[in-house]
Amino acid sequence: MQYQSQSVAKLYFVAAIGLFVGQILFGLILGLQYVIGDFLFPAIPFNVARMVHTNLLIVWLLFGFMGAAYYLVPEEAERELFSPGLAKLLFWVFLIAGALTVLGYLLVPYSSLADLTGNDLLPTMGREFLEQPTITKLGIVVVALGFLFNIGMTILSGRKTVVNLVLLIGLVGLAVLFLFSFYNPDNLVNDKYYWWWVVHLWVEGVWELILGSILAFVLIKTTGVDREVIEKWLYVIIAMTLITGIVGTGHHYYWIGTPEYWQWWGSVFSAMEPIPFFMMTVFAFNMVNRRRRNHPNQAAVLWALGTAVMAFLGAGVWGFLHTLAPVNYYTHGSQITAAHGHMAFYGAYVMVVLTIISYAMPMMRGRQAANSNRSQVLEMWSFWLMTVSIVFITLFLTGAGILQVYLQRFSENPMPFMMVQEKISLFYWLREIAGLVFLVGLVLYVASFFVGSKDPEVAVEQAASPTA
Amino acid sequence: MRQLNPLERQGEALRYPPGDLAVWIFILAELSVFAIFFAAYAFTRMQHVALFDQYQATLDRTSALYNTLALITASYFVVRAVAAIRENRAAQSRNWLWAGVGMGLLFLVIKGAEYAHHFAEGVRLSTNTFYMFYLSLTFFHFMHVILGIIVLAVLAVRTGQGHYDAASHTDIESGASYWHMVDLVWLILFPLVYVMH
Amino acid sequence: MTDSLTQRWMRPCTLVYGVLMGLTLITWAVGMLELQGLGVTFLVLGLALLKGHLIGDWFMGLRSVRGFWRWVIVFWLLLVGGLVGAAFWLSV
Repeated sequence: MQYQSQSVAKLYFVAAIGLFVGQILFGLILGLQYVIGDFLFPAIPFNVARMVHTNLLIVWLLFGFMGAAYYLVPEEAERELFSPGLAKLLFWVFLIAGALTVLGYLLVPYSSLADLTGNDLLPTMGREFLEQPTITKLGIVVVALGFLFNIGMTILSGRKTVVNLVLLIGLVGLAVLFLFSFYNPDNLVNDKYYWWWVVHLWVEGVWELILGSILAFVLIKTTGVDREVIEKWLYVIIAMTLITGIVGTGHHYYWIGTPEYWQWWGSVFSAMEPIPFFMMTVFAFNMVNRRRRNHPNQAAVLWALGTAVMAFLGAGVWGFLHTLAPVNYYTHGSQITAAHGHMAFYGAYVMVVLTIISYAMPMMRGRQAANSNRSQVLEMWSFWLMTVSIVFITLFLTGAGILQVYLQRFSENPMPFMMVQEKISLFYWLREIAGLVFLVGLVLYVASFFVGSKDPEVAVEQAASPTA
Repeated sequence: MRQLNPLERQGEALRYPPGDLAVWIFILAELSVFAIFFAAYAFTRMQHVALFDQYQATLDRTSALYNTLALITASYFVVRAVAAIRENRAAQSRNWLWAGVGMGLLFLVIKGAEYAHHFAEGVRLSTNTFYMFYLSLTFFHFMHVILGIIVLAVLAVRTGQGHYDAASHTDIESGASYWHMVDLVWLILFPLVYVMH
Repeated sequence: MTDSLTQRWMRPCTLVYGVLMGLTLITWAVGMLELQGLGVTFLVLGLALLKGHLIGDWFMGLRSVRGFWRWVIVFWLLLVGGLVGAAFWLSV
């Protein structure tokens, strides 16, 4: 760690991991409720568990992104953070607001939460992923503004690198697009239309810029490949991301009351969305193969390569599966969507946050560059357990989805929704088992922070040959 | 830094095309998008032959001709710019690049006039399937011309500032390759949308 | 005095430029004369593919590259030409 103020990232990373654990626990509850409908009812109904599962995911990823920014921006800009104090203050504001919101979800009925928080003054609640009370949303805006100010001042007065600028564009985009969560038109078509400007343009637009810059940073650090080479790839990847991702929003505009041309625009452009992810895979492996040295933190390199592969599979391949309008006509809103959602979020965003945590944490905890061998071995075990189990979750949900689409929408005698749900319950059971394995992986991941902390660090090998 | 350019190594073909490999991968990705769009146009036309033929006749082929000539000329100017920098004539290279920019701007003006004409007649994306494709395809290409012009202009400025010479000019080759791609796509688009029926 | 390699690339490019301009005029004339028929369609498509090939080979300089990249534009042209040609052929 080169700058003292980078250490504020530690708070954010710890919170992120804590919320990650919460997200997975609720995921397991939710998974069980698919097969045992009244599990934990009425304490935690399905809709609440689902809301907590998805909201926690988004919030912990945001913590992760902010932590990543606080860590890498000073190092790239070659100066201390503009205001570490502000970063700490905003951390507590965000954490407390987040905790209160989740408690609100769990303790009072959603409609009471809406009344309690004055939703009728500026109604923004009740939409998937944007369920947060309006005051929480306002809090998010305040935190985002303060965060951007802090990061922006650091970047603008320091060394300007491509990594920093791409990250800044991504973060500004994230904040600006979030403003559409306050726009809640009465017309349902318009509502959905702009809702996707937050949801889609986040995960298939600006978040990819954040992903790209974090990955580029870690690759620069761990491979020692020339910055120019990595920056060039980053440029090409983000250009392709924006070309395909922005118009690709159209794949959400099929048959919802929007003009017909979206079926073409959405199909053609979103069919190309795997390309930037594929380039990211080629990029990551290329850089690691051309490495000038073997970085002692092999766990971080593993996470980085894992991100590149799993993002391509989850976001690219599983996205493509159901993105073409004629296919989506049948698969819309089925378990195929859930399969894609799980692998894409894990592969792209969960893994990139775990990559930067894996890279940065050892140094913030006083190591030279990497953890002890024991700790890294355990972390790599957790990598494989979580990654393999998410692959299985995805496969089981895909199986469930295909069967569901067939029975419910494609066969000669379509069956009603709930009857189909019973038919596919075997897949849900298998998914739940894979989820338990995921939890084991997560427990090992957390344990890896406490194991071997007295052991010596893995030695730094200088100038290993690239072919090694 | 860079090895000799392809044409200075007589008899020995290179493994990679002129310019940066990352840019070439980008070019391939862009070409794939256009290929899908062209195929979608042609296959959709199968279902609506009469409609496509009827509305194709409302397009201004002569404007499209001028535009094709402008893009080909721009490409040729860019070729000359690459040739000039390979012989270390930076000032000439810069001038050729600006000439390319000029031809690109001419394209935008002519195409803009065509759009103005169509919009004035009330043509929109939702008017019919032919216009949907016509506007989508040409506008997507239009955006690429704008991007290409920006790239050429940046290269021209940097060439003028002396950033490139015979030994080191990968950026110019990359930008030139991108521009030729924009030209190449239009060379297919012009007959497909304006002429073939 | 021997020509430099750059000149040896540049001169054919000038010729290619002339050919491209000429072929474009032919395509335009076919359009203006309202010539009809599958043969005409394939002629126009063929000219377009030829022009694309000239751009790839000479302007982009792929002539002096070997392997995958030597043929990448040709592949693309054949793909587009095949798909478009098939669609026009099937729609007669």
